[in-house]
Amino acid sequence: MAMRTAVVIGVLVLSSLVGQPVMAQSLSVEMDGTTGFSTEGETAAGSAQLRLFGDLTRDYRVNVEATWANRSADVTDAFGAAYPYGGKVALSEVWVERIFRRNGMLLGVRAGQFRSPFGIYSRSDHAYQGFLRAPLIRYDDYWSISNNFLERGVNVVVGGSRLQVEASVGTPGDIGQSRRRGGVSGTIRAQAYYKSLVVGVSRISSEPYAPARYATGRLAFTGIDGRFAKGGVIIRGEWLSGRPWSRPETNGWYVDGIVHRRFMGPVTGVVRAERLYYASPTAFSYGGATFTEWAANRQTVGARVRLPAGFTAQVGVLRQSTLLAKTSPFALDLAMTWSMRRN
Amino acid sequence: MLARIFALGVSVVALAVPSLATQIGVELSGTAMVSGRAVANAVVWLDAAAGTASRAQKAVLHQRSLKFAPQVLAVRAGTVVDFPNDDRVFHNVFSFRDGKRFDLGVYPVGATRQVTFSEPGVSRLFCNIHPNMAGYVVVVDTPFLATSDADGRFRIADVPPGSYTWNAWRATGPVAAGTIDVRAGTVLEVAWP
Repeated sequence: MAMRTAVVIGVLVLSSLVGQPVMAQSLSVEMDGTTGFSTEGETAAGSAQLRLFGDLTRDYRVNVEATWANRSADVTDAFGAAYPYGGKVALSEVWVERIFRRNGMLLGVRAGQFRSPFGIYSRSDHAYQGFLRAPLIRYDDYWSISNNFLERGVNVVVGGSRLQVEASVGTPGDIGQSRRRGGVSGTIRAQAYYKSLVVGVSRISSEPYAPARYATGRLAFTGIDGRFAKGGVIIRGEWLSGRPWSRPETNGWYVDGIVHRRFMGPVTGVVRAERLYYASPTAFSYGGATFTEWAANRQTVGARVRLPAGFTAQVGVLRQSTLLAKTSPFALDLAMTWSMRRN
Repeated sequence: MLARIFALGVSVVALAVPSLATQIGVELSGTAMVSGRAVANAVVWLDAAAGTASRAQKAVLHQRSLKFAPQVLAVRAGTVVDFPNDDRVFHNVFSFRDGKRFDLGVYPVGATRQVTFSEPGVSRLFCNIHPNMAGYVVVVDTPFLATSDADGRFRIADVPPGSYTWNAWRATGPVAAGTIDVRAGTVLEVAWP
């Protein structure tokens, strides 16, 4: 009901800005299916996404995405790159958007349900780049900012090609394992672009996802992210620090290297180094043990290979240390994705 | 003296008029079909005589709603093509396979990068982030070119009447070619089996 209300309000807000006649444009349907296996916990996984997107009219764009995913075991974060696992069909991003341009400036207004605009947040940044896992600092239930955090509300971006400020206000509409408790959620992000470098800084304030009986106060994080692209090589990463609720402290980072040079043909190589740390003044349990602080380091080397007929193969080899090594010091992730689009 | 200059001017104009008259162009229209069905995004062009006037041109190929728009862009050699990112996600457009080879890297909404397509050929475009994005830039060395619409129709404007070799390209088929005598009202039917 809240979702429907947010969409209706958004459409009404956008409609008040309409200056041109409505003209039917193009919509596309896209479908992905992925199956995978990880040696960590001998986890098998499957997922599917269905998207309807494109130009609803000349001025308005729409995106409606449904997702389903399930896996055989829940002992690892394998395959949690951009979608949650729960075995149920869920609506993820459902929004209407309009972008205004004048004299090199732009104003974009998006209404509906969308990913929290914190750091490197878009679905495609995590789902298709060749990594089979989300960064530790963006995985569900790691006391941080989940890739599956969704906001139901309004998102506005304003600026020029060199500097943009993006802000959203709404209420949480999370679909992952970690679901924030409602209330008002706000995110602000500034992004600067110069030649091959993009740098952003983000701040989010929201209700915690942990139970209210012990998780008091607000979830609040600050992050810095960057991307650099040159000659088929992308270097990107995020650092964040904050609190998942009033008392614990979380910080961490990841750096990705994504290489796609001409001689590599259909192969994209990826590497990632990352660290996550959180501490709590009260003890908590993990893997049957009790801790007051938790740290994990991970290094990943992988590849994505485009195959004919819409297939993509992905492989990742992980080395894990500190507390993640208790589960598995090494892991091999394999996945095959089939994707199609109809315009 | 003035009379001589006037006479010289009249002579020059008189010599130029027949040449100018032959340069008045007509429109060549037609349809592109595959197995009897209209085909969109077919590129049709006429070979131009060497030395046909050329000037720097610009074109735009958008990245919008996770698609290249237009999906097929036909330009004359030497054209500078803008690649604006009109989406609020990052794209990484590249062309490694054939034609002009380039990698634009990643850049945000509102930003634009440019590529100069100097040589004739077909560049296949992909996005390294979005696997279903695919497009083409078809570069030809003639000003007489057009791309078919959804009904297979195309129009090439300002063609000086005369005999030409025509060529037609589509994404999933061979290049077709033939000859045509262009006059006012001439219609070119391009048909692939």
